[in-house]
Amino acid sequence: MSNKRFATINRRAFLGSAAGAAALFATRPSWAASKTLNVLSHKVHQTVLGADDGDLMKDWKATNDAGISWTTFDSNPLQDRLFREASLSETDYGVGYIIDNRPTSDIAALFEPLDDYLKKDGIEDFGDIAPGLVQGMTVDGKLIGIPVRHATQGLFYNEELLEEAGISAPPTTLEELVEQAKKATFKSNAGTPVVGMVLASDLAVFPVMFARAFGGDFITQNFELVPDPAAMEEGLNALRGMFEAGALPRSYATTRNDDQVTWMQQGRAAFTVLPFARNGQLNNPEQSKFPGKIKAIEFPISAALKGKTPMASVVEAWGMVIPRNAKDKELAWKFIKEVSSKRVTLGMAINGNGPVRVSTYAEKDFVAKNPVAEVEAGVLAHARGAFPPFPEAARAQSTLLEEVQLAVLGRKPVKEAVASIIERVKPMMPA
Amino acid sequence: MRSRSITSLVPLLAPVHILILSVIVLPSIYVVWLSLNASSFGQEPTFVGLRNYIDTISDPAFRSALWNTVVLVVVAVHVELVIGLGMALLFASGLPFRRVLLVAVLAPYAVSEVIAVVMWRFLFDPDVGPVTQALLSLGLPTLDWSFEPSHAMILIALLTIWLHLPFTFIILYAARLAIPADLYEAARIDGATPWQAFRRVTLPLLGPAVIVALLFRYIFAFRIFSEVWLLTQGGPARSTEVVAVYLYQEAFSYNAFGSAAATAWIMVLASLLLASGYVFILRRQVAANAR
Repeated sequence: MSNKRFATINRRAFLGSAAGAAALFATRPSWAASKTLNVLSHKVHQTVLGADDGDLMKDWKATNDAGISWTTFDSNPLQDRLFREASLSETDYGVGYIIDNRPTSDIAALFEPLDDYLKKDGIEDFGDIAPGLVQGMTVDGKLIGIPVRHATQGLFYNEELLEEAGISAPPTTLEELVEQAKKATFKSNAGTPVVGMVLASDLAVFPVMFARAFGGDFITQNFELVPDPAAMEEGLNALRGMFEAGALPRSYATTRNDDQVTWMQQGRAAFTVLPFARNGQLNNPEQSKFPGKIKAIEFPISAALKGKTPMASVVEAWGMVIPRNAKDKELAWKFIKEVSSKRVTLGMAINGNGPVRVSTYAEKDFVAKNPVAEVEAGVLAHARGAFPPFPEAARAQSTLLEEVQLAVLGRKPVKEAVASIIERVKPMMPA
Repeated sequence: MRSRSITSLVPLLAPVHILILSVIVLPSIYVVWLSLNASSFGQEPTFVGLRNYIDTISDPAFRSALWNTVVLVVVAVHVELVIGLGMALLFASGLPFRRVLLVAVLAPYAVSEVIAVVMWRFLFDPDVGPVTQALLSLGLPTLDWSFEPSHAMILIALLTIWLHLPFTFIILYAARLAIPADLYEAARIDGATPWQAFRRVTLPLLGPAVIVALLFRYIFAFRIFSEVWLLTQGGPARSTEVVAVYLYQEAFSYNAFGSAAATAWIMVLASLLLASGYVFILRRQVAANAR
């Protein structure tokens, strides 16, 4: 009988236990931080700030008696959620991470202008943050975001595979790159079929880099659309030639950014174009079959422009913004200040973040841990975004990619594809 | 019970009405309103009348997406029906290890769509996919789906058939099991061949179940998204794009909420139009049964 009494849950016992648990839960804030800052970001932004003993924000949390609650998404869903939150009458999110090619005038108006915050309670040595990145976060003369991360594109190559293909040194011009990619399309000693180069087909970065190597562009910072069609044609001809020769995978049209990493790690491609920050991942002994053999250099410019003008590689930057409708803007600014400090910038860089401070590249700790730091710093000096932000930018990018795919796969002559890009994107350009 | 007044019954029904109103009716009205406005983040909606509908219908990319959707739906749904019907009859005729086979047939329905697509993408990888390699080693042609749009469409159709076949099968199998065995016995005594028994007994009695399966699959298949998005993202060069992908791009890539809302309504109307023949047959059957 007594056993049965203990084993049976009656209504009184259930309600009593539930009330007790609720009371216990209600006391939780007494031992938790008194404030919580909600941050909307990509997972990588949280990861580079470290955790547990390596938490770069540990002191900040203690000083401000605040916890940080992260909500993370992939890039596009993150931007969508951030803009939705900022469009509400009020949001719980204090800080959001934004990509530099997203803030149009309308979108920028959803976020706090930060110039006054900077004047009142400045960021440590703000002038040290790369001016080009700060410019990218300035819309209609107002600073709406503080740069926090950049992804500058470099040319990665597999040293071992190049040697096997009889190539002794990486390319110094775009023409050499194309030739080497064709030569490095072979079966490796391990029996793996190797393609010369793997590129994703869903990002504007790659055709833009090839066009810039010949002095062209897609859309300039001054909103000039395809300022040099002949250079764009040369860039696309180079891609088309590689595809025709099998130096780009036949699955080019369905290749994604993650595939590039996998193909390089598995030795299925000799060259790729990725942000320098991917160096650690490409050479990680736990993931890569070629640890220490995948090297990075600046994406080469064409022979005709070599030595005359620097290569303008593509850089994508992230900034931290405060939604205008955020509840605790003061705490949000304190967070941004701390993340932008020299100490945290260096810590994040060591954890794999593209540092936005020029001085970080001179830090011994960072240089020792990052073999591509010096090259990256050189490339960053001349790098710029793939295209400037404007309301129809995403649609313009899709149109570019559609025409590039048609040209590369040989379904449309290159000249015709370039003419179509101009014709179709023109109505999307800002007045 | 019968003497209860309508006023005393309304509160009991109200939760259902409130639920339908808040989950279906109001959002639908909101989408209609949105489709008549130009709207994006940071902008006040501006009334544009039917502009979004006209722009969407006159967009060649939308028309191509609509055509791809119709082709995929018609092919996939009818192939599913034929295979599902064949399997239902085979199972009903008595199979060894029926339970194990039943689990095997129903398994794809338990697999998440995303996982299924990733799995198929790996299996049919043009370079290292096990299926591709097996076909090559047997000297058979492979699916060059990452290059040839027609091959990509075939792979998408095969994938969607594999994923949704259990739905059609289970409806038809249940309906077939409900047909009394006496009817087949009577047909046999009357000298009917198996084909005649199928045409004169099975098919007429399975009719309502076939229509229900077709109708549901038409509506579900018209929303096809993950198979296309995860396999080809609508490429190469938008050649395999379907309407749901077009809508997704408008709403979440271009943040053009007005045209996305218009696309959604066009999608609803197109799927109803496509399924209208079967809706008509279903109504006729219901009316005949009511007599």
